[in-house]
Amino acid sequence: MTGITFEGVSKRFGNVSAVDALDLEIGAGEFVSILGPSGCGKTTLLRMVAGLEQPSEGSISIGGSVVNDLPPSKRDIALVFQTYALYPHMTVAGNIEYPLKKHRVPKTERAERVRRVATLLKLEELMQRKPRQLSGGQQQRVALGRALVRDPAVFLLDEPLSNLDAKLRAHMRAELIQLHRRIGRTMMYVTHDQLEAMTMSERIAVIRDGRLQQFAPPEEVYARPSNDFVAGFIGTPSMNFMTGRLAGAGAERVFQSGDLNLSIGALALTDESAGNDDERLVRIGIRPEDIVLDDAGERARVMVVEPTGHEAIVVFDYRGNDVVARMGADSGLRPDDVVKVALRIDRMHVFAESDGRRLNDDRD
Amino acid sequence: MATPRKPLWRRVLFNVLAWTVVLLIALPLLWMILTSLKPQTELFVIPPTIFPGEVTLEHYRRLLAETPFLTYLENSLWLAGATTLVVIVIATLGAHSLVRFSYPGRERLARLVLFTYLLPSVVLIIPLYFLMIRVGLVNTLASLVIAYTTFALPYALWLLRSFMAAIPEDLEAAALVDGATRMQAFVDVILPQAVPGIISTAIFTSILAWNEYLYALVLVNSDEVRPLTTGVMNMLITSFNIEWSLLMAASVMMSVPLIVIFVFLQRFLTRGFGAGAVKG
Repeated sequence: MTGITFEGVSKRFGNVSAVDALDLEIGAGEFVSILGPSGCGKTTLLRMVAGLEQPSEGSISIGGSVVNDLPPSKRDIALVFQTYALYPHMTVAGNIEYPLKKHRVPKTERAERVRRVATLLKLEELMQRKPRQLSGGQQQRVALGRALVRDPAVFLLDEPLSNLDAKLRAHMRAELIQLHRRIGRTMMYVTHDQLEAMTMSERIAVIRDGRLQQFAPPEEVYARPSNDFVAGFIGTPSMNFMTGRLAGAGAERVFQSGDLNLSIGALALTDESAGNDDERLVRIGIRPEDIVLDDAGERARVMVVEPTGHEAIVVFDYRGNDVVARMGADSGLRPDDVVKVALRIDRMHVFAESDGRRLNDDRD
Repeated sequence: MATPRKPLWRRVLFNVLAWTVVLLIALPLLWMILTSLKPQTELFVIPPTIFPGEVTLEHYRRLLAETPFLTYLENSLWLAGATTLVVIVIATLGAHSLVRFSYPGRERLARLVLFTYLLPSVVLIIPLYFLMIRVGLVNTLASLVIAYTTFALPYALWLLRSFMAAIPEDLEAAALVDGATRMQAFVDVILPQAVPGIISTAIFTSILAWNEYLYALVLVNSDEVRPLTTGVMNMLITSFNIEWSLLMAASVMMSVPLIVIFVFLQRFLTRGFGAGAVKG
């Protein structure tokens, strides 16, 4: 089994820094998503593992040995491209067979392995077609097949589902999860789609501007985001933020923003905030599902109601702030209704205004 | 197309004009073929005949049997073949490098190559001649292959560059990841995609080498290595006499290979020039 280790990896293109001093350790057999907005350096990261780009600094190891100077063919990896990159002049069978040919697998064994992959991915009927005669979903399966057939130690997937329609994407998500369970290989999955990352991965590495923001299991990334960027990036609708200052300490602590005074004494914060928290600028974050109708809460006016069927996304005017809440589909709220809503203080996230780092004390 | 039919008079006018142009261009060719089939006695009769009164293949027989025509033909075929091969090999590799690899001065290099193409070939003929004497290649087919390569290559590079640029980068990356070396990826994946470009470049180069006259005149001067262009002129046009019938027969046989190439590969040629025009 083979893990991937990044040590101080940087990549610069001219003056542009794509990846910046990144440390990351992906366990053997683990399914890890690299998640971040477009242009954050995640594809560059993947291409460096594949050997298509050279790191400017630092080292990348696969299975414990540094691969910086190895060409792609010697790395025992397979890469599924966002564009699929199927060879247009070869048939489906030819495409899947190609990596075996290049690794000098004997002809009879090649045929057998291609057949096995074709069965696994239900491609038997399509083997003699050319890529342009296939639908997007079929092309994507051929691309997967070409990666699978060699049985590499590491699978690299670069937004493999982004060119599929929504229904097919959901289907392929499930297929990929099953596939990973069956073959148990290390998978590094690059995506900008948090839903894919949340549903498929064992751990998610959130990247922004070439820097690692957080590397943790999906539940933890969601429940305890390490900074305000991760907090805002993960979750749909995204987290509500309010900027203000902390006053008082311990059980007396209050969050002040405009004429809002929120007693947040129930919230445990780290020592660094407690030190001089009299004039501490912070951003508090609250997820849409942590806003509830409560007679003891503040008055808020309903601005927009977006029913989605099983729930309703409701935008409130909460003391001059637009806050988005997730309500039951049967809440019966209408625009311009005035109701009382409360924020669940124990579920609140506090971030430093200066650098966005998390100030909640997460020790149990 | 669902465009409405043009009025009758416009179609007639269009056809008359088009056929006039075609006739103007085709007439000399037709005259060439007809003359080559006439017996010599019929050449200068007054009034001139258009169609031969008596068809004869005598001139063709004489050309093939009694003159070094076949040697010239062989030389020309070698020249065109070798030049095309050399240009295609260098230009595909070079174009790929200009598109895919990054190294300092890459764009400048590409532009410099184009500038060499802008230089009239006449100004290079004397320097090249002295160069060939120095390296001992004067009066060999190799000297002509080198000379033709120097002017076909820049254009070939630019034509192929636009073809190579249109091939997705991921294809090559996929081949590398699948276990190919750079050269294997180039041969297995890039070349098959570039076939239309390669064909049109090859046609361009072989026509150039087939038709070239000036360098062939200067750089070689013995019958063993003369190509058709200078060979035929040399043997049939003397200060005292022009062998019109033989000249026409030779011209017909010189044109045939080109016409055959055009008929079969014409669609690649238009595609190739189109791509060059839009993207180059």
